[in-house]
Amino acid sequence: MAVQGISESIKMPSDIKKIRKVIARIVDLLVERNVDKSHMFDIRLSVEEAIINAIEHGNKKDKNLIVDISFAIDDEKIEVAVEDQGGGFDHTKMPDPTTNGNVLRAHGRGVYLIHKLMDRVQYNDRGNRIKLIKYLR
Amino acid sequence: MQVVVSEKDGIFICRVEGEIDINTAVQLKKAFDKLIREKRDKIVISMEKVSYIDSSGLATLVELLKNFRKYGARMKLAGLTAKVKSLFEITKLEKLFDILEKEEEAIKAF
Repeated sequence: MAVQGISESIKMPSDIKKIRKVIARIVDLLVERNVDKSHMFDIRLSVEEAIINAIEHGNKKDKNLIVDISFAIDDEKIEVAVEDQGGGFDHTKMPDPTTNGNVLRAHGRGVYLIHKLMDRVQYNDRGNRIKLIKYLR
Repeated sequence: MQVVVSEKDGIFICRVEGEIDINTAVQLKKAFDKLIREKRDKIVISMEKVSYIDSSGLATLVELLKNFRKYGARMKLAGLTAKVKSLFEITKLEKLFDILEKEEEAIKAF
């Protein structure tokens, strides 16, 4: 039997330690829908990376600033939007972390992984909101 | 996340268990401080029981590799689950690391 679609919104402070609770909620909903473990891994990783970027680069770790996470899940797909209160960034200017010159750099793989693991990734014009879409079937 | 280190014939086998994410990546780095300080030069990081890794975890492994290389140590990864291994492939980190299927193979490869 199909499980009814659900949508929720969570506002969290810019605190890395609070990410786990948000992820746990999303994972619970995916488990309820028997989403396979590989998809679950991809979604968890991508949402986590998006929230970390929002906290570290968007809100500059200012705990007074909020990260707004809204998600909708149905039998077909999950959509997760992560919005920070920063000035936004230009995702087209992110360096490719896989080139010979960059592969030894410690950081800079988060956004790249999101694009590889999600089916669709969208940004608002300001660049402070990212929407991740993954098809579940 | 925990790291259990054992030594056999000068090879240090570091068995990592759990999830390596932004909250635990620092712990992972710290677990290797002593080996780096003592300039141990044959390291196997066994990741059979690592169920999850994010970009912070990958970053930490890259930093460890660079720190070991600074004094000529060799570091090998072993026992990556299919999902964790796929992240090394996607990010092309597989080119950078010496990755073996099993812990025993990594030990024998020294």
